[in-house]
Amino acid sequence: MLIADCGSTWTKILDTDTERLEIIQTREMVKRDDLFFEIATGHSGKNRCRLYRNELIALAEGSLSLVEEEDFSVVDVGGRDLKFIRFAGRKIQKLDWNLACGSSTGATIELLGNYYQADFDALAPSRKWINVTCGVFGMEKVLEHVSTGTDAGESLAMFIHGLVRNVFDFTGRPDRLFLSGGFCANNCFLQTLAKYCSVVALGRTVPLEGLRGKHHLEEADLTGGAP
Amino acid sequence: MVPAPENIIGYYGFPRREDIRLARERYGCHLPLVDLDVYQGAPDSGLLGTTTCRIISNIVDNAVFYSRRLSAVIADVGEGKCDRGRHIAYLLRGMGFQVIESRITEAEFENRPLVWSRSAGTLRERVNRIMDSVIDAAPPGDTPLPCAPTHGFWGVPPHDFRILDLFPPTTHIYGWTRCVEAGRPSDLELECSIDEGVPTVFFTQSFCAKQDLAHYLAEKFGGMEVDCHRDVNDSIGGKVEAFLKLS
Ligand code: SF4
Repeated sequence: MLIADCGSTWTKILDTDTERLEIIQTREMVKRDDLFFEIATGHSGKNRCRLYRNELIALAEGSLSLVEEEDFSVVDVGGRDLKFIRFAGRKIQKLDWNLACGSSTGATIELLGNYYQADFDALAPSRKWINVTCGVFGMEKVLEHVSTGTDAGESLAMFIHGLVRNVFDFTGRPDRLFLSGGFCANNCFLQTLAKYCSVVALGRTVPLEGLRGKHHLEEADLTGGAP
Repeated sequence: MVPAPENIIGYYGFPRREDIRLARERYGCHLPLVDLDVYQGAPDSGLLGTTTCRIISNIVDNAVFYSRRLSAVIADVGEGKCDRGRHIAYLLRGMGFQVIESRITEAEFENRPLVWSRSAGTLRERVNRIMDSVIDAAPPGDTPLPCAPTHGFWGVPPHDFRILDLFPPTTHIYGWTRCVEAGRPSDLELECSIDEGVPTVFFTQSFCAKQDLAHYLAEKFGGMEVDCHRDVNDSIGGKVEAFLKLS
């Protein structure tokens, strides 16, 4: 069975029969007419699956599959948004999805990284940060720093630091944070975040784990109760 | 011969009932009253910046769209609206419109029963019924019974009403919309009164100062803050849906 998490920049496809994981760019995925999923989450998966699951619900259920603790916070840092869930006694205490402010910061880091050919594994964290209100504002600041003589790598690390501060504030400044998404493989991001709280990287497949359906959260029936 | 389109009286926010009555007397009791806050299909006039609350842009776009047909604008410039409401009254006057400034004071607060805020039924319909009461204060003939809330919607009537369709019928209405039903548009205490334990979405239009309240209240009551500028997109819908289903 094929299940997929179709993010704004990357699509993660898992064949649950073979456990083969394929990660392709979403811009490639949308061109492939042959791809149809049994279950999918993420904006671009909506019209190519038999069963669609809400992204935040998939993240919540995936987190419960991977984390055994009673009380914990998980954040997914995606290409264009942040999703956050706080569990208490394995029940949802708070959830949030940052769409407007702070939007597209993940994708912007990827763009800038490609442009400046940065190696995020080797990039040292910066103690300074750029105010990353959103991807465009942040990008403008990076370009300004580079044009006034700051090293491109240092400017990028400052951008990452700005994003980390947003993530830390958005999640309510917890002591420990479980991280989901592509930034689990970004060493500079992980090291910077570790200066604020302890971090456990869960990898890129948390929503996919949710789609497997090991943990089903109780959902309210929103149609009932009509007068 | 095609008859000339009728003139109208526009209003925005929650003007004093007396000011509405006087404007009708002066400009014609037969003229329809049109809520300029609401998108009426007017094209973008481009007169305001893009980072302006969409409701305020609607007012200006509608005014330009109706243009000469607009006999007068009854402008809520009081605390029940916002500074932007006050500022565009000034702009509209500068553009040549007849503007009647109106502000409800605390002494004029009413104490109307909260019928639509606390009953069951389509949220869109109930918000509309509340907003209709701005120009027609007669009690509804078909008074629905109150219901226990399963969810809450806090905020102003949105620019894109489709967000309201995501909520179950047992959603109670809070915030400014409830204040309108009570006839107390700037009653901050009432605006911030929430039933504890009711999972509530704190909705604001983007670039509205009420975002500060929404943020504070969402933290305090464990609700979720949602802001939307123009149309409700998939992500905003998904966020609201997840909160309503899982809370
Ligand atoms: S939504 Fe906020 S900013 Fe917009 S008109 Fe209403 S009070 Fe003013």
